[in-house]
Amino acid sequence: MIWVEILSRHRDVATRLRLEGPEARIGRGYDNDVVVDDPYVAARHLRIFRDDAGRLVVEDLGSANGMFLDRGRERHERIITDGKMPIRIGQTLLRIRDDAHEVEAERTVPVHGGRRRLVLAVALGALILGVDVLKRWLTETGEPRVSNYVTELLVVAATTVAWVGIWALLARIFSGHARFLSNLLIALAGLLVFSFYNELVQYLGFAWTWSVPASYEYVAAWLLLGLTCFLHLREVGSTHLWPKGLIVTALLVTAIAVQTIQRSEAFSASGRQGITQVLMPPAFRAVRLQDQDSFFGDIATLKATLDSDRAKARPDDSGRF
Amino acid sequence: MSLFCRAILVSVALTSQLFGTLSAASAADAPSGAEGIYAAAPPRLLQIRTLVVDAARQTSTGSGFLVSADGLAITNYHVVSQVALEPGTYRLEYAAADGSHGDVTLLGVDLPNDLAIVRLDKHDAPFFAFNKAAIDGTGPQKGERLYSMGNPLDLGFTIVEGTYNGLVEKSYNERIHFTGALNPGMSGGPTVTADGLIVGINVATRRGGQLVSFLVPAKFAEALLRRVSTQEGTPNFRADIARQLGAWRTALYESFAAAGFRSNALGPYRAPDAAATWFNCWAQTNMGAKPKPRARIDTTECSSDTSVFVAEDLNTGAIRIDHSLVTSVELNQFQFASALTQQAQPRLLTAGPLRKWYTSERCHEDFVRAVPGPKHPPLRAIWCARAYREFDGLYDVSLVAVTQDDGKEALVSRLSLQAVGYDEAVALGKRFVETVEVIR
Repeated sequence: MIWVEILSRHRDVATRLRLEGPEARIGRGYDNDVVVDDPYVAARHLRIFRDDAGRLVVEDLGSANGMFLDRGRERHERIITDGKMPIRIGQTLLRIRDDAHEVEAERTVPVHGGRRRLVLAVALGALILGVDVLKRWLTETGEPRVSNYVTELLVVAATTVAWVGIWALLARIFSGHARFLSNLLIALAGLLVFSFYNELVQYLGFAWTWSVPASYEYVAAWLLLGLTCFLHLREVGSTHLWPKGLIVTALLVTAIAVQTIQRSEAFSASGRQGITQVLMPPAFRAVRLQDQDSFFGDIATLKATLDSDRAKARPDDSGRF
Repeated sequence: MSLFCRAILVSVALTSQLFGTLSAASAADAPSGAEGIYAAAPPRLLQIRTLVVDAARQTSTGSGFLVSADGLAITNYHVVSQVALEPGTYRLEYAAADGSHGDVTLLGVDLPNDLAIVRLDKHDAPFFAFNKAAIDGTGPQKGERLYSMGNPLDLGFTIVEGTYNGLVEKSYNERIHFTGALNPGMSGGPTVTADGLIVGINVATRRGGQLVSFLVPAKFAEALLRRVSTQEGTPNFRADIARQLGAWRTALYESFAAAGFRSNALGPYRAPDAAATWFNCWAQTNMGAKPKPRARIDTTECSSDTSVFVAEDLNTGAIRIDHSLVTSVELNQFQFASALTQQAQPRLLTAGPLRKWYTSERCHEDFVRAVPGPKHPPLRAIWCARAYREFDGLYDVSLVAVTQDDGKEALVSRLSLQAVGYDEAVALGKRFVETVEVIR
């Protein structure tokens, strides 16, 4: 018995045929056992038979376009098939298997796994919205208005759902499963990490007077977005992870480079530091108090920077003041 | 105060006869009052025009007046600043009230007093003489009638009657307070007493005031005239302006530092205010606001009116000290810190287009205790500074200090200095933070 599977471009089985005889022929002509409607396939293209050892052998019957293994460029006259590697004729992918082909062991259905993930997604969502409300309330200096909070929550929720919806749609198109819950978990985890990172940066800026993370917060945001997109892409289809990763990395590098250039140009155009100095309750201070001399000593070193800025801004002294 | 006038009147006086009486053509023989004064003015009263060399059209106008028989005239520096700074792009012309006109050459400038001396291609013309009492500081008397001349808004030569009201109080640069209607275009024009002698030079009006105008005292013009008549050749004006600006602001900050800071109570805090007499201080509070603010903010602000006109787009040299006492009414510590964040952003006082005049801003911030001991609260201090691209040794600086001794009450103190030397600024900054104290 021989099984012939015709695969889609995504390597899913499109047609599966059971052939009873010891031998089978494949081609465009109607005298074959399997008829393939592919203009690049010969009328009589392949013959499948068993060799003396009982292995399935695929033989090219002298077609013009030949026979290949998967994406390989090397033309084969004969292939002893292992049932795993697809065979390409014309633009058609085939898999030849015999009835002894081994299949994967049965997977156990996770007990309440789906529900656990649902609970996790709801908990994460609630946490994000809660953190959002809390942040807003802690920075509220005017009259608190319920409508402001509600609007903000709705915007966050709607944006997240729209984002997840797009990925779920892509996953549905390309892999047949929307995987809404998985995509939702990925998006929520990304949001949550960013939200905490943002708080951490402000804390470091105030308590430790360390402003570097704040200056590069945009880099972290892009990295996080890139990682999230990669995880979404993996949900869309778990094949070709290397090229997907490379594309995401390339986009990421471009985005970070463009924004870095923009920021440096904006700084040299306006001369203003783009960072807001954020204050927190005095109890958060984590570094010791500087004495006056060391503080003003640090300030005095800025003079050299300013003077070199001036020298750079004025390369040509002629005609100047 | 702003001097967007551009007019010049001409006065007449030989350098050797500065305090002489007017010549036969002068106002002395003419009918009394404005009519008589104006009757004698035309040949020595000027409009001074700045023209774009290539376009041969005027880009601004001011007034001026002849002060010598050999064609020396006085005007404001701001009337001729474009020519001083960009001599290749602009040139000067005069048109006298008697209809004569011709070329004008810039000879010298006095940046702090906003004066300039120019030479006209005009000889043996009558000129204005200085009032002797105004030069030696004994006159005129408050309330005395003065007459100001010029060409306002390029509408034609006019004479304006007004009153002498002494020197402007709380002003670092000496200015006469003249109650009369000066208008743009009259800058650089003469203001004379009833006998037609120069008391001051029109320079500015107060926007939003009524007839509040300012004159540069005649003694500065006379001093500049003496200086220019002994100088050989014309100076490199850009270098001269940079030097004058440097010297002027050195004197300004020396005077500021000598007066020092005096301590002023603000809630439980004591905050430094400028002790120099030439500061204007005001206070405001948000307690009247509706809805009732959730943090009370009481602000005091002291500023000096010390900006000098350097270029069309650069008036610099202001000093400002402000303090905000922020007290939580119903904010928690986090919300209070947010309210404080809004108050404590470092803002440099900007005197002109950033990219043209300044380098990028550089900042440093940290927690500081100025002096050990409970009297001096811990501070979160932010220092931002930028350099002037074209003036070596000049910087704008802003220092903000926020007290960190209480989660629901804080003092935000800010010292802003324009066109200051870096080391002077650091020394002033030290004294400033040392003066912040708390008494609980």
